[in-house]
Amino acid sequence: MKRELKNQSEKGYPGLLIAIEGTDGAGRSTQIEILRQWLAIEGYGVVTSEWKTSNLIAKAIDQAKERNLLHAYTFSLLYASDFADRLEHIIMPALKAGLIVLTDRYTYTAYARDVVRGVSPEWIRRLYDFAPEPDLVFYLKMPVEALLKRIIATSGLDYYESGRDIGLSTDFYESFKIYQRKILEEYSKMEREYNFETIDGTLSVEAIQDRLRKNIRECIDSGVIR
Amino acid sequence: MRLSKKHDLPGVLIVVEGVDGSGKSTQISLLKDWLVSTVEDVIFTEWNSSRIISDTTKKGKKKNLLTPRTFSLLHAVDFADRLEQIIVPALKAGFIVLADRYVYTAFARDVARGVDPGWVRNMYGFAINPDLAFYFHVPVEVSLERICSNRAPKFYEAGMDLNLSPDPYESYRIFQGRVISEYDKMVEEHGLVKIDAKETIHNQQVIIRDIVEKALEEKGIRV
Repeated sequence: MKRELKNQSEKGYPGLLIAIEGTDGAGRSTQIEILRQWLAIEGYGVVTSEWKTSNLIAKAIDQAKERNLLHAYTFSLLYASDFADRLEHIIMPALKAGLIVLTDRYTYTAYARDVVRGVSPEWIRRLYDFAPEPDLVFYLKMPVEALLKRIIATSGLDYYESGRDIGLSTDFYESFKIYQRKILEEYSKMEREYNFETIDGTLSVEAIQDRLRKNIRECIDSGVIR
Repeated sequence: MRLSKKHDLPGVLIVVEGVDGSGKSTQISLLKDWLVSTVEDVIFTEWNSSRIISDTTKKGKKKNLLTPRTFSLLHAVDFADRLEQIIVPALKAGFIVLADRYVYTAFARDVARGVDPGWVRNMYGFAINPDLAFYFHVPVEVSLERICSNRAPKFYEAGMDLNLSPDPYESYRIFQGRVISEYDKMVEEHGLVKIDAKETIHNQQVIIRDIVEKALEEKGIRV
């Protein structure tokens, strides 16, 4: 099902909000960087915003994670604080100024991760209900096996990415597999709930980029942004 | 969620609420001295005191960078951290937990800052329902007299971030007046026990101890 595109007055701002979702290692940041360059060349003002990068709160999250002290709700609320801060200081001002905002992860990341960590799906959705709904949400979907290989080959397994904090298994590899599978299940549920544009994350970087551009081009041509 | 149900942990959670200058900290301190002398297993926890986010909140306040929503979320982080690290373990171990301010502070202050009442109540839904919540009620003029007898109201306590008035005293009156009216609404909604904080310290303490004693007896704790 296609997302219903809203016009400017319905949204309350002239800009365009595009979210790229997907698990770790799905290639989100690579795609966003190429998109940013393309849109700039096409003459559109672009702002990007990445999950957990607010000036104010990102450092506090890292410090807390280092001490492995985070409970499900604390974890969830910390990320929501980071998001709220970026929304008010980066995302909304850009949308109001008519820019295209590309976000590396959006509220859906919290809906997936935090629910896997034990908070209720309704609670987390209500928590983030101040966030504007994106015009487009792309979901780079990866099967867990491909994901495992990609992450092991690049960054290696990390404590939280492996869900070790929720005690799934003392074996890192097993824990990672169980955790990422649960995350993927949550994303799958959301594909329909939020009309994700799902793209096969195992495709080449170029093929994924083509799909993204085609969708964004259609969206721009529909007149939602000038 | 948890906040709307009675908890079944062996401990007892007692909280005090009210605006600055309502005398709630004095009262909880006297309550603590009494309980420590008879029951022993008592711990005390204070609003906005976990280490996890204190530097961030300080920095944000200093630079006046916090919107009401971010402000609200950061306090919830602090609360969640103390709840899971201090309050819940203590209740599981059968302690009497005394909290100087609890979720009702957020319900009053954040809503007075313009945050949606339903949103902030949902956010704190994971909190444990206290066995007793005392609300120390004072008129805003009394609060102002007690807090600002020898200094001007501080930026956030006066709600200066909301641009209510350029005069900090007037801003304090408007902002804390809103906080008080939010508290007043919660007496019924959340069963807060309202105490007239214009009474003498001793008289208030006598009333409180009487209520606490009965609540503890129900849990099989004799004082």
